[in-house]
Amino acid sequence: MVRSASAITLAVWKALFLREAVGRLFSGRATWFWLLAEPMFHVAYLVFIFTGIRVRNIGGIDTTIWIMVGMLAYFMFNRTGTQVKNAISANQALFAYRQVKPVDTVLVRGALEGFLMIIITSILLMCAALFNHPVAPSNPLAVLEAFFGMWLVGLGFGLVTSIFSELIPELGRVINLIMMPLYMISGVMFPIATVPQPYRDWLLLNPVAHGLEAARLGFADNYHAVPELSIAYIYSFALVSIFLGLALHRRFAQRLTTK
Amino acid sequence: MIIARDVHKRYLTDHGPGRWVLQGVNFTIPPKLNVGLIGANGAGKSTLLQIVAGVDHPNKGSVERQCKVSWPMGFGGGLQGSLTGRQNSKFVCRIHGHEDDIPDRLAFIQDFAEIGEAFDHPVKSYSSGMKARLQFAMSLAFDFDVYISDEVTSVGDAAFRNKAAAAFKNLADKAGLIMVAHGEATLKQFCSAGIWIHDGKAHWFDQIDDALKAYKDTLKK
Repeated sequence: MVRSASAITLAVWKALFLREAVGRLFSGRATWFWLLAEPMFHVAYLVFIFTGIRVRNIGGIDTTIWIMVGMLAYFMFNRTGTQVKNAISANQALFAYRQVKPVDTVLVRGALEGFLMIIITSILLMCAALFNHPVAPSNPLAVLEAFFGMWLVGLGFGLVTSIFSELIPELGRVINLIMMPLYMISGVMFPIATVPQPYRDWLLLNPVAHGLEAARLGFADNYHAVPELSIAYIYSFALVSIFLGLALHRRFAQRLTTK
Repeated sequence: MIIARDVHKRYLTDHGPGRWVLQGVNFTIPPKLNVGLIGANGAGKSTLLQIVAGVDHPNKGSVERQCKVSWPMGFGGGLQGSLTGRQNSKFVCRIHGHEDDIPDRLAFIQDFAEIGEAFDHPVKSYSSGMKARLQFAMSLAFDFDVYISDEVTSVGDAAFRNKAAAAFKNLADKAGLIMVAHGEATLKQFCSAGIWIHDGKAHWFDQIDDALKAYKDTLKK
């Protein structure tokens, strides 16, 4: 009995998902705790600094919510992107089974990371609710739209960079260099709206900056988001990069597993 | 049935493409035939096995597999260090489409590997012998039409080697086998036909003895 190609792929995805989940959550001592603690600490020390300098609200909304939502949206992109980018090298041993293709590991990692970030985001928001912060989003669908957009952008970014960093290792280092200041220029720590033109337009070439603002706007209608905010830009960026990534995987599938 | 057509292979090194390891290999292996690959070190035996198993790809030419072919057994890959033996086994069951009878197959693997409690410990804590036992047990847990083996009969301690040889013999009777081994006795025990790899070409012999003879003749010079 020969199984159909789609049956094999589905079986591989399921197996990879469970395996990746175990690896991501339980590979070391309390790995799952650090997954949750990392964004929590990032939020906590930014909140500490901002309240220390008496900033009660940013762009018309609660400072803690502003920081937390921006940070979580950023993490949604960043974690998905990095996990997906490293999927191929981390799963090299599995290509001993010819059923497992590089693109499988990449897509499954993206799905797992999105799934985990939804849980982490919910937990952190619940924690904020315990401290009486207004966590109920005024437009839940807009929040979902922004977070989903960030996930798609992360997936597209990871798909493309996974190929580059595998085929041209030097490019992998360059990508890491570019990723470093991204935290700064995406508007996690300051509102993009305060940046004067023409520099603001340059910062807004980065889809992550749009995503962060969109998520905050979804949480509070009265937030003074950057006027150039465009959901369409996020999704077109995601669409183009995912398409490019899948095309590259199709083109170089054999090269990736050839020694 | 496995058909190799004009298979060429060279590896990419840090200084560009290396020498041709395989240069125009052609053969057809009929179903249920046990074939031994013979050749000097570096002749391309393991390379050819990996290509036949579909784990590596030829630079030119193609391999057609019209049956279920195992992954190459006994070359150390395919196990994730941070996961336990049980988790690794489950993974392999799932990708081979045996979601329904995982408990049965796990029981078989655990029973055959005889690594005791270590089955539930991370694979990175295993000795190389334990790893080999686990891999061997894993590959026996599935029904393939052709098994690909790279020196698997030489793993483990004496007791396990005997058990492995018996299981292997049983396997060789009901399925096809393509194997690399350096022990002449092992080859004669399991294989009926032979492929001698020399200067990047493959020579087919219906009798393993003839293949061994051809190989030895080149050594004398």
